[in-house]
Amino acid sequence: MNFDSYTLTKIAKNDKYTTYDLFFGPNHPGMNGNFGYVLDMVGTEINNVRINAGQLHRGFEKLMERRGWVQNLTLVPRICVMDPDPNEVTYCMAVEKIMNVEIPERAKYLRTITLEMSRLTSLLISIGGAGASLGLYTIMHWTMADRDKVLDMFEWLTGGRVYHIYNIPGGVRRDTPKGFLEKLYETMEYLESRLPDYDSLLFENPIIHKRLKGLGPVTKEEARKTGLSGPNLRASGNALDIRKDAPYAAYSELEFDIITQEEGDAFARALQMRLEYEQAIDLIKQAIKKMPEGDVHANLGNLGMLKVNPGEAYAKVESSKGEFGYYIVSKGEKKPYRVSVRGPSLPAGFLWATKHLPKMKIDDVAVWMGTFGICAPDFDK
Amino acid sequence: MQIINYADEERRQEDNRKLWDKVTAYFRSRSLWMLHYCTGCGAMELPPIMTSRWDIERFGIVPMATPRQADILLLTGYASTNTMKRIIRTYEQMPEPKWVIAFGSCTVNGGMYWDSYNTVNNVGEYIPIDITIAGCMPRPEAILDTMVKLMNMVKSGDAKAFQKYKDNYGYYKANQDKLFARTAPVLESASLKYVHNETEGSEQ
Amino acid sequence: MNITELLKDLNSRGLEAEKICDGEIKVIANKDNFITHLHYLQSINYEHLANINGVDYIDENEFEVVYQIYSYTDKIHIIFKVRIPREKPVIQSIVDLWEQAQFYEREVHEFYGIHFEGNKDLSPLFLEDWMDLPPLRKDFDTERFSEIVMGSMRNGGKK
Repeated sequence: MNFDSYTLTKIAKNDKYTTYDLFFGPNHPGMNGNFGYVLDMVGTEINNVRINAGQLHRGFEKLMERRGWVQNLTLVPRICVMDPDPNEVTYCMAVEKIMNVEIPERAKYLRTITLEMSRLTSLLISIGGAGASLGLYTIMHWTMADRDKVLDMFEWLTGGRVYHIYNIPGGVRRDTPKGFLEKLYETMEYLESRLPDYDSLLFENPIIHKRLKGLGPVTKEEARKTGLSGPNLRASGNALDIRKDAPYAAYSELEFDIITQEEGDAFARALQMRLEYEQAIDLIKQAIKKMPEGDVHANLGNLGMLKVNPGEAYAKVESSKGEFGYYIVSKGEKKPYRVSVRGPSLPAGFLWATKHLPKMKIDDVAVWMGTFGICAPDFDK
Repeated sequence: MQIINYADEERRQEDNRKLWDKVTAYFRSRSLWMLHYCTGCGAMELPPIMTSRWDIERFGIVPMATPRQADILLLTGYASTNTMKRIIRTYEQMPEPKWVIAFGSCTVNGGMYWDSYNTVNNVGEYIPIDITIAGCMPRPEAILDTMVKLMNMVKSGDAKAFQKYKDNYGYYKANQDKLFARTAPVLESASLKYVHNETEGSEQ
Repeated sequence: MNITELLKDLNSRGLEAEKICDGEIKVIANKDNFITHLHYLQSINYEHLANINGVDYIDENEFEVVYQIYSYTDKIHIIFKVRIPREKPVIQSIVDLWEQAQFYEREVHEFYGIHFEGNKDLSPLFLEDWMDLPPLRKDFDTERFSEIVMGSMRNGGKK
């Protein structure tokens, strides 16, 4: 039997319910986050897609104009709940760029460690979510249990499980607790030892290969042109990484190669996540080994009364989903004049949805979203 | 002809009902199905409690895909106006008895989004809430504790917020209308709005 | 092209270009011919449009539309700014240059009320039934709005 042409239209051609609108989200088990597409369906095939966004819109760009420079640190991590630390770091980097502050060496390393730990937690959700959206719930249980190990380390370091607010303008909030780095190294070794299990369950699974290969392809040029960033860009064969191109924190002192895939389909993107996960573990290990002694924050006076001199800057960080960019305009007041956030999910979630979803089967939408790492709050603002 | 002692019969039925209510309440408290709807960022703490480390399934609580099969509506985090619409619709679709947990500070008093133009401050004004969890975001232990409290409330029959919704529907409806059924702009500044005139624009 | 060459090149084209820091410059363009400059930038490998955002300079009675452009080859980020009057915020669309601009422009339209000529679909993306002033304009008072509609209270109200 030819499975490609096996849609409901063939069976029930004259059925009046063959074409219908399907609300894929916001309340849908396959949807990650409070976001949705309205799909015009023909049988099980999607004919057209409309975007149903805005459920997470809370206007944080407006709220940031009403709060002090340091108060905003409570708002920024909430922009991407899966991967909160890149937001803090980007915001702090933009402020530091305007103020022309150089942060201490040790703070750079600690930022690198928190960024990479955050990447680990986010990628674990993405990998688990990719499995779960294909009906493979075991991997979700494994990755969530392993993610909790990283969250425990975060809790020890910062006091918070999900939101940390560890990075402040001028460095990080406090030094590591005693014995933290050794324990973190052990945790990293544990996470590394789990990788063969993930591989044998997910990435060497023939069903996953069949489902994901050829799904939602993006060519090399298209990926560059349409604003895709991060793993999605590299999965299409572009060796581009902000950590290399415009090094921040301590990335210029760590050794790593840019991992790329050639195919640019959903499987390449999933594999890219898996390989970047391994790379993040390696980067944390390197950072622990190279960690210098010294101060952890530059003295900027009373941070609660922080005033930033007039100016503007755009800072960007490579998060687990792509480029997080903060454009900040300061007028020399106690509050920022304008903070504009560039989230990584918009090109995939909006533009590529309108390109990929038509002619796709409904079964593939959840995993298509999962491999693109679409995280609704960063474009909903 | 037999004379029926109505007073006694009613009492007997009432007693029976009480016993039956007790039994159903006990079993209900042991199989709460919660709706899988992530309204805000608090949803991030749900995967850990549903999976192996915290494992909420040992209390009989499992995530459920559709509101028609769910008992608990978990409002995880800030509710924007758009979400509030969907929450109300979801809530009204759920069959009784149903319970609502407001999760995180944002649902209680707006939290850090208290002055936002698009988030609801107190969700309890629009739908009835049984129990709230404070914190941003609440820890898994807090969630588990709340679930156990809710189970006890269901068992003892104290969790009756859904009745409140029926009894005071006018109050809730008025609040909902205030939020959604606006016909005029709220602030006077709306008169400054720029309206693009297509013909004028093309002349340029 | 390195940063000094780029600055010289852009200045010779009649743009006000200025270095902010390493790998980052800001450019101020005129609203009548900024598209030709963006065309030129795209032709010299500035192919990544990271974001489009608005800024409301209420004191100068102007809106600013900011295009964040990056070159993967030169590793230079350009903050490309165009000012438009506040009374008549109309600017040309760049959908033909970058496809994703469609959605960024829709967003800026929704939050600032700036009209993008040539963008076919400027329908609201995030806010449903919004009748007030576009919310990110400086003259929109979010606290007052929240007070009236949602009943929010500063510091939790009177004790």
